[in-house]
Amino acid sequence: MTAKILRINMQNLTSTWEDLPENYETLAGRAFTSTIISEEVEPTCHPLGPDNKFVISPGLLAGTVAPSSGRLSVGGKSPLTGTIKEANAGGLTATKLGRLGIRGIIIEDKPPKDTKDWFSIVITKDNCEVKKTNEYANKGIYDLITQIWKDYPNKPGIIGCGIAGQRLSPNSGVFGNNIENTDPGRYAGRGGLGAVLASKRIVVIISDDSGGSTPKAQNKEKFKEAAKDLTEALNAHPVTGKLKDENGNAFGGLKNYGTNVLMNILNEAGGLPTKNFSRGRFEQAAKISGEAVHELVEETKEKFGEAAEGKYGHPCHPGCVMACSNVVPYADSGKAHVSPLEYESAWALGANCEISDLYTVAELNRLCNDLGLDTIETGNTVAMFMEAGIIEFGDGEAAINLLKEVYDEKSVSGRLITSGALIAGKALGVSRIPVVKGQALPAYDPRPIRGIGVTYATSTMGADHTSGYTIAAEILGIKGEVTDPRDIEKSDLSRNFQATTAYIDSSGYCVFIAFCILDDESGMGGMIETVNAFLGKEIDIGEYGMAILAKERKFNKAAGFTKADDRLPEFFYKEPLPPHNVTFDVKDEELDKVFEGLTS
Amino acid sequence: MIEIHLYGNLRKLVAGSTCSEDTLLEKEYIEGETFEELIKRLDLKLSDLGDCFIDGTLAKKDHIIKDQARVALFPFNMVLLCGGQHLKGHGYTKKDIDVNYY
Repeated sequence: MTAKILRINMQNLTSTWEDLPENYETLAGRAFTSTIISEEVEPTCHPLGPDNKFVISPGLLAGTVAPSSGRLSVGGKSPLTGTIKEANAGGLTATKLGRLGIRGIIIEDKPPKDTKDWFSIVITKDNCEVKKTNEYANKGIYDLITQIWKDYPNKPGIIGCGIAGQRLSPNSGVFGNNIENTDPGRYAGRGGLGAVLASKRIVVIISDDSGGSTPKAQNKEKFKEAAKDLTEALNAHPVTGKLKDENGNAFGGLKNYGTNVLMNILNEAGGLPTKNFSRGRFEQAAKISGEAVHELVEETKEKFGEAAEGKYGHPCHPGCVMACSNVVPYADSGKAHVSPLEYESAWALGANCEISDLYTVAELNRLCNDLGLDTIETGNTVAMFMEAGIIEFGDGEAAINLLKEVYDEKSVSGRLITSGALIAGKALGVSRIPVVKGQALPAYDPRPIRGIGVTYATSTMGADHTSGYTIAAEILGIKGEVTDPRDIEKSDLSRNFQATTAYIDSSGYCVFIAFCILDDESGMGGMIETVNAFLGKEIDIGEYGMAILAKERKFNKAAGFTKADDRLPEFFYKEPLPPHNVTFDVKDEELDKVFEGLTS
Repeated sequence: MIEIHLYGNLRKLVAGSTCSEDTLLEKEYIEGETFEELIKRLDLKLSDLGDCFIDGTLAKKDHIIKDQARVALFPFNMVLLCGGQHLKGHGYTKKDIDVNYY
């Protein structure tokens, strides 16, 4: 089966199938979305106008037997940052598209200006329909996905935008349904791509892989062997491995505690941003940690038996062997409250707002999922209301009421929440606004951990930890060489991480496969060899990643971005962060070195 | 006195501890004691541990613990998530060399 590109024109509601050009053969995921945007979108266009495109691409190995390889990338010019943007997530859709032989979907143009109708894209084997479905618009996403699985009994993948996106708000993500269709929490959340989709009057993209087949590797035997090696390495590792050891005790860290295992660790490292980046420790961190979720799941299982719906060790997409997702239950019924509650979300909606009640944090996350909001941007935006004194830090009830304002189309507070931290902060007279290129910072303070600050400043996407996650390398070191997180020469570190991330974001693999890649030769070989065997050619990770970054940087430059945009907000340079009492001392020249001389 | 914050399965060192609260253990300060010696004093092995910190900095076995220090002990399966980007620029795995932490 040769991979195809599906091109959809929303001006005339038509679609065409194209053969994958030869020079696109190795491009998938972020490599595909960023290449299309850089080649086909005018960098100065309005992100919500007809000239922007919404591009979807499953990672290269999505739909294959390679473990934990079902990530989906979406891309476009971001209405939040004005830069090129790629965001990725798990869920069902990447696997479905992979099995349908679709390498990418390009959605272009938009319906005539006076169009009030909303549409759905329905993709089945060799077929695409653009359907008018006004009943799917202006509706909470939990109800929406339930309705869609009733309308489409083949349990399709769904991605789309919620109320926030449909109002063309910069703080709007692209949701994805989970495997069970109980929660829309598989978010490609960052950068406002929900609004880009909605600007084309699309609410959802539904993919049904009936009649599809597993994508075939060029070198089948080598691929099978490499996938097996990687699976074995993942299962054996104490972080990515099995749930229990032979004595029944908790073993795999991610399966038991999820990504929110980090809450207590970053708190102890003094790098957990608290109270709008005012200090690096939150005294109540344990209450909203992955351990607390694990304990709540156990308690509700004991109390409600089989009726309990809370889970840890929950996979975010088919074929994920690490299963770091969770389902947070209601304490008083055991029923599912929200899925997942990730570290970044628990931090943004918890520690950063000084909210320490697990139920409240889960409820805030559920509201974000229902409304189509990015949790990181939303937590930072709520913190702007707190910094401005509109509501108090730590007041969870007020935060919940604030998010509920978003349901009211005429609420100004609701509109500010959907506008993101920069606009809300400015509107409310806040001077400490933690954004880079308009996008709010995630859950690692850049003052005690400088390399991540270099990534925030220089990423092609605005402040984004996943663009080049230097945290462990800085605090733990690599191969026994512990680097100093307070060291200020981090340009090489950040650049290398950003390039490798771009490769992983294109492969379909989840970044957490790294544990066994680092610790086990066969795991690392497994990752590289699956990609090479699938393509039937050798790929150089660094070259591949740098080529993507070069395209993204070129787009941003043409869109008007300069070195002056590769900086952190002033207060990070001036306010020392307790407990380490350090500022972000990295010099501008060091930041400029990250992509010095990079040409497309 | 030193203040030890325990996480994961190490919380069992304090009876009645719960994951949704800080689990604190106070131990007498011993002048010149290293991190490794403290671990022995707690009847633990270095192999039981994941990422650990002394006053917010990664603990190494020969670190001398000061009076009033805040020590954080995480078990073997609780470590920072590294994210997979180490491949380039480092180019190797940890298995083939001795690390200078546990």
